[in-house]
Amino acid sequence: MILTSCERAQEARLGEGEFTTLSAEEAMEFTAIAARIIPTDATPGATEAGVIYFIDKVLGDGREAEHEILRRGLTELQAAAEMRFAVTHFYELQAEQQDRLLTDIEASAFFATIRYLTVAGMFSLPEYGGNRDNIGYQLLGFEDRHVWQSPYGYYDADYADKGA
Amino acid sequence: MAQAPFPTSEPVDFIIIGSGAAGGVVAKELSAAGHSVVVLEQGPHLRAADFKHDEWGYKHNNDLVWGARQGHPQTFRKTEIDTAVLVESALGYAHNVGGSSVHFSGNFWRFREVDFIEASLLGPIAGTTFSDWPITYDDLEPYYTKVDWEVGVSGLAGPWDPPRSRGYPCPPMPVKASGVLLERAAKQLGYTPYPAPVAILSQVHNGRPACIHCGFCNGFGCEVDAKSSSMAAMIPLALATGNCELRTLCTAARINTDAAGRANEVVYWEEDGREQSQRANAVVLCANGAETPRLLLLSESSQFPDGLANSSGVVGQNLMFNGASSATGLFDEPVNAFKSVPTTRVMHDFYSLDPSLGFYGGGGIDSRHPSNGLPLGTGLSGSLFGGPNWGSEYKHSLAEEFTHTAAFNGHSTSLPLATNTVTLDPDLRDKWGRAALRCTYKDHPDDIATMRFFLERSLELLDAAGAKQVTSRPITETEGNVHLLGTCRMGNDATTSVVDRNNRSHDVPNLFMVDGSSLVTGGRGQPTMTIMALAFRAADYMISAAGRNEV
Repeated sequence: MILTSCERAQEARLGEGEFTTLSAEEAMEFTAIAARIIPTDATPGATEAGVIYFIDKVLGDGREAEHEILRRGLTELQAAAEMRFAVTHFYELQAEQQDRLLTDIEASAFFATIRYLTVAGMFSLPEYGGNRDNIGYQLLGFEDRHVWQSPYGYYDADYADKGA
Repeated sequence: MAQAPFPTSEPVDFIIIGSGAAGGVVAKELSAAGHSVVVLEQGPHLRAADFKHDEWGYKHNNDLVWGARQGHPQTFRKTEIDTAVLVESALGYAHNVGGSSVHFSGNFWRFREVDFIEASLLGPIAGTTFSDWPITYDDLEPYYTKVDWEVGVSGLAGPWDPPRSRGYPCPPMPVKASGVLLERAAKQLGYTPYPAPVAILSQVHNGRPACIHCGFCNGFGCEVDAKSSSMAAMIPLALATGNCELRTLCTAARINTDAAGRANEVVYWEEDGREQSQRANAVVLCANGAETPRLLLLSESSQFPDGLANSSGVVGQNLMFNGASSATGLFDEPVNAFKSVPTTRVMHDFYSLDPSLGFYGGGGIDSRHPSNGLPLGTGLSGSLFGGPNWGSEYKHSLAEEFTHTAAFNGHSTSLPLATNTVTLDPDLRDKWGRAALRCTYKDHPDDIATMRFFLERSLELLDAAGAKQVTSRPITETEGNVHLLGTCRMGNDATTSVVDRNNRSHDVPNLFMVDGSSLVTGGRGQPTMTIMALAFRAADYMISAAGRNEV
């Protein structure tokens, strides 16, 4: 039987609470990076949305190649943290220091992959582990509904009033 | 006659390979006419209740459009001298009952009179295989009307339409703010915008419900069967006849022929890998413009050394994708284009570009959400109008981009070229051990010029619409698409085409190819309605030919 990835993710959720694919260190580091990509400020960010749980789940679903890119990139990022700021872990740094390191690697496959997975964890169905309490959807002004009725926006309401 | 299910040992009247836009129509027509029909479908039979607003699953995990992850790798190269590289999807299509008609946007533009006779009107174009069709718009018009009524299309008849023998069965969808922006801008510039015809029901029709405007059309299956996929509109009717057996998770391996060179058997794999075969009096190949040529090429034999039905050598050639361009505007007030169907207004004032421009082309412009209304798509594409693509500023730019934008998209012509092909990759195998699909594609310079032309018109329209900021995707050479057209082209000349004017193989009299592969020219970017109309017409011919014992 073919399971959709959504069903697979729901099965994987049974182990909620601990990471199934990421090491504890990876989880802490990727949480810190995701928090710079979609920061917590006046509104919740990647941390509150539980993006790291999404990343943990989908990396375990046939995405070993991406996990490998992340492993290698993290090692390099930690080396840069050590060299520039004399700390072992990225998550130990101040936000401003973290942003400087990430800016340096914006063009890397590592950054593209962690950005992709962070954004995906923010805006995918909550069943996949991220987007908790629809935090991502709220950020966009999106409501996941089945039924909408016209008018949908300003200009069609105006059209109904005034015509073409 | 025996009722479905049928034994594999006894020949059925017709075996259809593929249950998509064309296969669903052919299955319904043949079974309703009393023929015994077996349909093979690679994918599962997903139904309305199976579909979710699952952007990650459908758009990023290939749950519908299978790729390398599901054991169906493909390769792409621009030209024959380039090395083909593994890509996620160059020849995209859905693996499920109903094929890509399940997850399409449902833009149902009829082709127009000019599409069928354009080579005569304009003359040949050097380096291309640009040709007239062996049929005209008048030949196909009754079948477009069948699609309107039997499959279900919503729209508004008017002077913008090509001649039609009957109005639309359903009124147009309620106009969206994105449609109003296009309509008002187009009128201001002297153009003729009109309600977009869509294969989505605006009211109850043929026992199917009306659209509930959830917004998840493009890339998603409809959760209420309001979208007129062949899965929703045709397959249930075929199965209800009792004459049609649908075998899902069954992948065709090859078509065998008898000593007389007639197709007599299809070998296929069941889900667990067990090899099966079904005998049939005729074979209808509806596997799409990529898989149809692949199966013909894989069905080579001593009788057909270059592949089945390929005495012309053009099987797999003349692949056409359709051109695309997109410009997005940011507006002061909420547009909310993520709600309801993708597009509600279209304009065809540039259906045929003036030859004095110096290049061939034509197309239409519609208005959509820049990221198909999708949350994750919006997150990935931001910041659309410049600025960082991560961090606080990025985060807070997304809401406006999601709710206050409209994209004016061009959909345009692709010239047929012998060098744009679907072939067998000699170096890569799929999960069944077959040579993987290899796509070779490079746009003709006129196709690129046409995309640029439409992008410029979109930018002018956005300006007229009052966009406060605009951005556009750069025009680049096409490296993959979901419109898979032209690879078994229709024609009167058996040396330059694969099927005749009735979709019958020139070489194998009881073999029919019916899908996007038959198209001689690719239209203006919305081919599915024409694929369905051709399927109704070809099925009519099969039924009459069977009645004369000519199949």
